[in-house]
Amino acid sequence: MANKTVTLPVQGMTCASCVAHVEKALGQLDGVHLARVNLAAGKASVEYDPARVGLSRMEQAVSDIGYEVGREQVTLTIRGMTCASCVSHVEKALVGLDGVAGAVVNLAAGSARVDYFPGSVTVGDMKRAVRNAGYEAEERAEGQTALDREREARQKEIDRQKRNMLIAWPLAMLIMVGTFREYWILPGIVPEFLGNRIFLGLVTTPIVFGPGRQFFVNSFRGLLHGVTDMNLLYATGIGAAYFIAVLNTLWPDAGFGGPRATFFESAALLTAFIILGRFLEALTRGRTSEAIRKLMSLQAKTARVIRDGQDVEIPADEVEVGEIVVIRPGERVPVDGIVMEGYSSVDESMITGESIPVEKKVGDQVIGGTINKAGAFRFRATKVGKDTALAQIIKLVEDAQGSKAPIQKLADWVAGHFILGVHLLALVVFAFWFFLGYERFFTPDSSFLLTPGTLGEIGVFGFSLLMSVTVLIISCPCAVGLATPAAMMAGTGKAAEHGILFKGADAVETATKLNAIVFDKTGTLTRGQPSVTDVVVGGDLSDKAVLHLAAVAEKNSEHPLGEAIVRGAVDAGLEVADADQFQAIPGHGVQAQFQGRDVLLGNRKLMRERNIDFDGLLGKAEELEKAGKTVMFVAVAGRPAGIIAVADTLKENSRDAVARLQRLGLQVLMITGDNRRTAEAIARQVGIDRVLAEVLPQDKAEEVKKLQAEGKRVAMVGDGINDAPALAQADVGIAIGSGTDVAKETGHVILMKEDLRDVVTAIEVAKATMRKVKENLFWAFIYNTLGIPIAAGIAYPLFGWVVSPELAAAFMAISSVTVTMNTQLMRRFVPTLRREALPGMGQPSLKPADGGSH
Amino acid sequence: MEQEQARAARISALIYTPISLAVALAFFVIANAMGKYTATAVYGGAAWVFLLSMIVTMPTITPWVKSRLKGQA
Repeated sequence: MANKTVTLPVQGMTCASCVAHVEKALGQLDGVHLARVNLAAGKASVEYDPARVGLSRMEQAVSDIGYEVGREQVTLTIRGMTCASCVSHVEKALVGLDGVAGAVVNLAAGSARVDYFPGSVTVGDMKRAVRNAGYEAEERAEGQTALDREREARQKEIDRQKRNMLIAWPLAMLIMVGTFREYWILPGIVPEFLGNRIFLGLVTTPIVFGPGRQFFVNSFRGLLHGVTDMNLLYATGIGAAYFIAVLNTLWPDAGFGGPRATFFESAALLTAFIILGRFLEALTRGRTSEAIRKLMSLQAKTARVIRDGQDVEIPADEVEVGEIVVIRPGERVPVDGIVMEGYSSVDESMITGESIPVEKKVGDQVIGGTINKAGAFRFRATKVGKDTALAQIIKLVEDAQGSKAPIQKLADWVAGHFILGVHLLALVVFAFWFFLGYERFFTPDSSFLLTPGTLGEIGVFGFSLLMSVTVLIISCPCAVGLATPAAMMAGTGKAAEHGILFKGADAVETATKLNAIVFDKTGTLTRGQPSVTDVVVGGDLSDKAVLHLAAVAEKNSEHPLGEAIVRGAVDAGLEVADADQFQAIPGHGVQAQFQGRDVLLGNRKLMRERNIDFDGLLGKAEELEKAGKTVMFVAVAGRPAGIIAVADTLKENSRDAVARLQRLGLQVLMITGDNRRTAEAIARQVGIDRVLAEVLPQDKAEEVKKLQAEGKRVAMVGDGINDAPALAQADVGIAIGSGTDVAKETGHVILMKEDLRDVVTAIEVAKATMRKVKENLFWAFIYNTLGIPIAAGIAYPLFGWVVSPELAAAFMAISSVTVTMNTQLMRRFVPTLRREALPGMGQPSLKPADGGSH
Repeated sequence: MEQEQARAARISALIYTPISLAVALAFFVIANAMGKYTATAVYGGAAWVFLLSMIVTMPTITPWVKSRLKGQA
């Protein structure tokens, strides 16, 4: 049986080590080939063999290590059931779907309650399955439940941490004021009872066991399954600080600071800062998946289709392939299709990034999710449900956001192994200060860094324990887990706004390391369709007359050059009539008679054979041929009339795109099957100095390989279908979208519109994303790198610096804040091209639903 | 499956608990031998060392035992 990939929402993950644990738990299952977890998205992407492992087994494996796979439930109204066997049929139809964990059908209520794993099956799939079984199904819940539920879940986590903050912070502030009531102006304004240690203990307890409870519960649950995560660091830190404070309060002479020290403020502020970090992480996660939410919001809710000759409004996910869909002005196109009737312009900016509305006439393709402007039209649905371009784009962006860049794999590995290392370090630090450090270096007037007061009568155990706990707290790599995926999600989302789809995070990373970029010529740099470029007259006839006669002669020709001449004449406003007589001369040209005149059109050899002297035009002909053009000779009534040059022309922005890439320091090459002279002529026009000419389509991948052998990191830009092998061989294959079937495109990056300057934008977005990743990793690690040695007491013998647990927690929270804020700055990224067009402004193209009811 | 998990947990506990106790005992013996620490410091220190040792050994030993058992099956 073929492998399948499923995306499971995993709840309860808080850090990079959780990622490693979940990946490991899933990866160890027999039949699971690959498991990738994205912390920021809270999702696990699993490639598995359905014959060997089921979704319920995966769910079990995840819950065994203390996390939860988020199931969702939907209630469908089922019509057409009459007996118990109908119940069985409907249940079987639903349970038979991949991703459905269970279904309970109630005959009396006419309903089916379905438990499913979102991401692997949709409600639309369920409705189709029920319909195929011979019944009618309708969703009972209203609106876009999946979207709303995701938002609700995120909001719930934010609310939970906000609630915790509202408890922890005011109480922690009260404890701070009470602890330091003897300093500054506080003695005059702070009542004495606030400084009482019993009071401080009473106020600290609800913080530690209220908002802080989650850390104890989660770490205990993890430990039971042999799992360590950030929660354990928090729990040990908070627990130890609270334990010291209680001991010191009950037995002031036990060596934990004596009557003048409390340590309750350490436990309270430590908890408060950790909660602050959690709150900020929850906020970040919600915001980085904004692009997916915006894309989802583009999906139309309803569609108007023609059934039995009537306009009927139905849910958009029930449109069937082949149905005729009616679109009125201002409405959103519900599915993909081909225009059958009418004319309009459609705003496709939300899908392709193209800001100018695109005209739609009979035969043109329309994309679901786009917004019709002024006109009205009808179209035949060609793709519905998960096959639509929008659904494929959402899937691609989700997959990209769920994938891991090499840099993230390294960061996750480091973070995953960090926690054990930190506990070992805490053990070493404790032993050092207990057996050696305290006796040699401790002085009673020592105080915590940035904190008034002294450590006073703290004993060897209390001091060593403090150092050990502080190392645990300051080492928390909590921001490391978010640093890369948050930036990747923001970056790939930003790229999607501009019609650029990265298929994976590795493509984003590789795109920043490119040093050569190869463009396919035909259809990529050029339009891929020859057109008339020059008409040179050599007799009495005008250029228009020469073109007209040549077009008449070629009207019935199926040769591409002949078609180019006919198109050129039509474009020049000439009416091309039928020739009176027409004869093709294979391999040479055509001969025709029109209004009593003999017209001969063909190559040099044909004219020589017919003894028609073109000497006067040969110089010009050679000049045109040197420029890569194909020259055809036109003779009328046996005398030379002129020459017509035909060539494949450059796309509007090819030259600009090449120049911009060269300015980025990339070597730009062109690859083509054309002869070297033609190829070099085109290359000169576009500004490319290295040409790989006369390369057969099947050899293009080999040429890319040769460039890679030269030590270059190569991007190949081409048609996603014809150039597939070369795109796959390249380090980054960039496919110019040739339609709406984006999932079938080969390549690591897909450009939704044909503007080659998007290659530049793709590289810019990739560079901005990786810059953000590196900045985030820097900010995530810098606090640990600087903080751990100081917390371990390396500076104590020289400067007397002791980092308090709460200061360590503050550093940790600052680390999370910095990463969060830095990621948010990605939202302000505007590609150079857009910046030049709209100085000082970005023009986001992923617009929320604003297209009327559809 | 649950029985296998429980068996792995039991075997793991039989390995990591003695290791952690041994480390804590070593701390206790050394601290006592040095003769300059209060009882609070010695007992408290040994408890802290035991806790950290458990935290280090539990997640190291448990997956190792699980993979060994899986290999045997």
